[in-house]
Amino acid sequence: MAKIEFKNVGHSYDQTAKHPVYALKPFSLSWEDGGRYALLGPSGCGKTTMLNIISGLITPSEGNVFFNDQNITSVKTEQRNIAQVFQFPVIYNTMSVYDNLAFPLKCRKFSESHIRKKVNEVAEILNLSSVIDSGAKRLTADQKQLISLGRGLVREDVAAVLMDEPLTVIDPDLKFKLRRKLKEINSKYKTTLIYVTHDQNEAMTFAEKIIVMDSGQIVQRGSSKELFERPSTTFVAYFIGSPAMNIFNCSIANNELILGKFKLKIDKNPDQITSNDLKVGIRSEFIDLSDKPKENSIHVKIKSNEDFGNYKLLTCEFDNLEIKVKIKREQNVTSETTYLILSKNRLCLYEKEKLIN
Amino acid sequence: MKSIYFTLKYFAITLWSMFVIAPFLWALSTSFKDFNSVTGGATYIPWLQFEPSLEGWKVLVRSPAKGGVDIIEPYFNSIFVTCTASLISIMLGTLAAYALSRFTFKAGIIKNNDITFFFISQRIMPPIVLSIPFFLMLGFLGLLDSLFGLILVYIVLLMPIAVWIMVDFFNKVPKEIDETALIDGCNPYQAFIKVVIPNSIPGLIVAVLFCIIFGWIDFFFAFILTFTEVQLLPVKIVALNSSVTPWWSLSASALVSVAPLVVVAFIVERYLSKGNLSGALK
Repeated sequence: MAKIEFKNVGHSYDQTAKHPVYALKPFSLSWEDGGRYALLGPSGCGKTTMLNIISGLITPSEGNVFFNDQNITSVKTEQRNIAQVFQFPVIYNTMSVYDNLAFPLKCRKFSESHIRKKVNEVAEILNLSSVIDSGAKRLTADQKQLISLGRGLVREDVAAVLMDEPLTVIDPDLKFKLRRKLKEINSKYKTTLIYVTHDQNEAMTFAEKIIVMDSGQIVQRGSSKELFERPSTTFVAYFIGSPAMNIFNCSIANNELILGKFKLKIDKNPDQITSNDLKVGIRSEFIDLSDKPKENSIHVKIKSNEDFGNYKLLTCEFDNLEIKVKIKREQNVTSETTYLILSKNRLCLYEKEKLIN
Repeated sequence: MKSIYFTLKYFAITLWSMFVIAPFLWALSTSFKDFNSVTGGATYIPWLQFEPSLEGWKVLVRSPAKGGVDIIEPYFNSIFVTCTASLISIMLGTLAAYALSRFTFKAGIIKNNDITFFFISQRIMPPIVLSIPFFLMLGFLGLLDSLFGLILVYIVLLMPIAVWIMVDFFNKVPKEIDETALIDGCNPYQAFIKVVIPNSIPGLIVAVLFCIIFGWIDFFFAFILTFTEVQLLPVKIVALNSSVTPWWSLSASALVSVAPLVVVAFIVERYLSKGNLSGALK
């Protein structure tokens, strides 16, 4: 187990180019020992590159990587003691399930009794005991991925377990169980887990800290609550949450926020604002309905009312703008128009796409 | 509809099998004939209606002094040269192919694909182009008319085949397998030996088979680079020819020379159909 630190780490796959295009723009970051992290972002945002830099499969073109304050930037993969699970199961076809799980320990020359104990323990956790002596090649895709996962968990002293969308091929029920297992393993062995995903639900339910990435850079780092309630950029606001945050162009006049023909109160000091590139956002979950005007309310026309089983989603319109509102399933909306209350402490104000704190 | 398809399929397979097996049976029948049986009058069933004779086979082991060709020594020479050259070609070719598949090489405009093509181009070139350089080089090294010289030449001829087949195969082996092995604690050589090679057995078998076939059937270089000290089977068999073509001993020698390839094919067939790599990823 180790504290992992990036100091000005950046990477370009074409280092000979005059103006290199960064897959990962230079940044500094640290992962605390024993933490449970998720790297969240759309495909191609640099998540896998970051994992490969940690495991040593890629040497960063800039900056240094530290494990427990020791510079390991040029240390080879096999000497880093990292476990990595790829998106699709990678198994050694010619070996049995037991030999697959035992392989990382055999490579590190552990005693046969230790290997047997650990392999059986991990096989038990991952429900692989019944097929332990079978050839790995014949198993189903999710069993194969469990083997990949098992090879990552079989070493106790591993610096970190890196998982690159490891549950993609696993069926939803087992996915849920495995996420819980991973959490248990993390709290039992204090193993640093770094989990790459583009599925926000997976990241939110798994990680203590989520790192959101976009276009090769980190855009926000925080707990799922922080990311949901105070997204630091409009990208995070769109990316996190379902539906995405309602975001509108706006302006400020006389200490009030002008949203279409409505004037709203805000808890920001307008002196902080220096440009006209302003946007305001509010989560559909934080909007209340009212049948009469109240403070910070806007009058809207209800366009649609969709029942999602556990909640209803209203799509409303004002000034040719659409706003989505999540309401309880039991809540009845009969009228064609309503007032939406946009509480000032729930409004997020963005200047040049960045949250004004 | 299904039964028609089934019948047609088996009819086609039977027809093809007959087409492939018939020459062997014909050669087998002829190898037990003698001059009279071959040149005698017409019979109803020429493959069966004759007096069996071992003359065709005896010629192959009889010494030249007694009118035979004695193929035993050339036979073992051929086995030795083919196996040794194939083994070395596969070892070197596999390493080269792995490097070409996994690492990026760049020297000016020359990249990995150009290097692979350079290997293959050795086989595209007509062999006659290589004959004089090989002759001069072996002459310079004093290796003309020697097994070692032939092995060297065959390595040059067979390695491109090994590289060509293995590059293509390694390209299909997911690189995540190597990476996983590195993460699990292997160094790159251990990853290659312990993980990549076992997963590449079908490709290796194909490469071995092709090397053995091309090494075994070569006549051209065996003919121009050897004289009296060393002879390989194809060259020796040509010595059987005379003013009257001895079909019986030619048939026997054809069967003897094809036998090792048939044995190898039977041994490796099950590995070829196994498809060991399927499912390594996904």
